[in-house]
Amino acid sequence: MWNKSAEAKPSPQAADTSVPVIPAPVANAQQTQPVSTPTTPPVAQVPPPVSVPTASASNGTTTIAAGLKISGEISGSSDLYIDGETQGKVRLPNARVTVGPNGRVQADIEAREIIIEGTVQGNLKAGERLHLGAASRVQGSVLTPRFAIEDGARLRGKVEMVRIGGSQSASSVGTTADPSKAKAMSASGKDE
Amino acid sequence: MSWQAKPRLISTPAPDSRAKPGPAAVAVSSANARVSNGLKEFLWLLSDSTQGRILDLGQVSQATLTFFIEKGFRVSTEDLLRAWKEFLAAEEENFRKAPVGDHENVSPAMFADKFLASDLQYPAEHFHGVLAWDIFDYLDAQLLPKVMDRLYTMLRPGGAVLSLFHSKTPERFCRYRIADPQTIELLPASTLSVHARVFQNREILDIFGKFRSSKTFVGRDQVREGLFLK
Repeated sequence: MWNKSAEAKPSPQAADTSVPVIPAPVANAQQTQPVSTPTTPPVAQVPPPVSVPTASASNGTTTIAAGLKISGEISGSSDLYIDGETQGKVRLPNARVTVGPNGRVQADIEAREIIIEGTVQGNLKAGERLHLGAASRVQGSVLTPRFAIEDGARLRGKVEMVRIGGSQSASSVGTTADPSKAKAMSASGKDE
Repeated sequence: MSWQAKPRLISTPAPDSRAKPGPAAVAVSSANARVSNGLKEFLWLLSDSTQGRILDLGQVSQATLTFFIEKGFRVSTEDLLRAWKEFLAAEEENFRKAPVGDHENVSPAMFADKFLASDLQYPAEHFHGVLAWDIFDYLDAQLLPKVMDRLYTMLRPGGAVLSLFHSKTPERFCRYRIADPQTIELLPASTLSVHARVFQNREILDIFGKFRSSKTFVGRDQVREGLFLK
C-alpha cells in the first residue's frame, strides 16, 4: 500500500514529459484547477504542459505533488495521493485518498479509504477505513466504520463510527441499564 | 458541592462483564498501568447515556477512542496542553515581530482569553463526560479557572469530569489511555509542559467549586483521581 503511493510520486523526469495535470480517469467536469486553461478538448481535458512537477497518474493513482496547490472540488474514481496543498472538497467515494507527509489539505474528504500522514483541516468521511499516521494532524470530524490511529497522531474533533456503506451510527454496544439507577455519587469508604 | 448526594440504589458499580479486564488488559505492561477506581465510577455514571458524548482532553489514543465508541459514545478529542503550548509559541513569535511599544497591554489573562476564544469551542451542555487526565496540574494559573468555567458550561447536568492530580511532582510527563474498564495506561512522553503545581485537596475542591459533588480516590502511586459531577 505504502509502496504503491511512493511509486505514484512523480519524478522530475515525469514532469518534464508533460504529464497531464488531471489524468483521464479522474477527468470530471466538476474538477477545478488553477493551473489548467481550457484547450480544444478531446475526450478528456488536457491542460497545457506545465514546467513544474504537478499532478500525475500511475497505476491508477493520481498524485498532487509537493509544490502544487489546487483549489476546488476533486471527484472521480481514481485513487489520489496528495503531497501538495489542496483546498475545497475531495470526493472519491470509491477510491483511496492519501495525504502524504508534505500534504496540507483544507477540505472535506470523502473516500472509501483515507490515509493521513500530513495535515488536514476538514471533515473526513471514510466508507471503509481511516488511518492516521504518527505525524498526522487532523482538525475536523471523522466518520468511519474502522480506524487506526498511530501514537503521535493529532486529532482535534469528533469521531463517530458508521457502518460500512455509510449508514450512521454504529456500534451500539450500548450501555445502559436500569433507568431508575440514581446517578449521584456518595461518599463511600473509598473517599479521601 | 454536596457530599450528601442522592443515594445510589446500587451501592457499588454493577459487576457486569464489561467491568472485567479484556484481552487488551493482558497486553498492558503492569509497570505502566494503574487500576483506576475513578474510571470505573466514571463509566458507571455514564452507563445510562446512550449515544453519549465524551470529550478527551489528552492526546488522541486509538485505545481510548475505540473503548468509548464500542460502547456507543461519540468522542471528541482536543489535546489541550499541546494546543496551549502551540498557542503560546505562536503568541511569542507575534510578540517578537511586533513593533516596540505594542507590548504594553499583554497579560497572561489576555492570553488565556484569546486562547479560549478559539479552543474548547463546544455548545453548552454538550458532553456527558470529560476525560481531563492530569492537565490541571500543568495549566497556567491564569488559564485554569477559565478552563474550569468552560468545562462546566460544556457539561450536561449530571455530566462528570474525570481528572488526576499528582501528590508530588511527577518524575516524567505521561499521556494516558484506557486499557480496560478499570485500568488506565500511562504512556511516558516527551515533556510537553512543565508541572505547574501540586494541588492540596482543598484547592481541588475549590477549583471544582461549581460542581454538585465530587469524589476522590487515591491510588497506590499516590495519584489522586477526582470525579466531579455537575
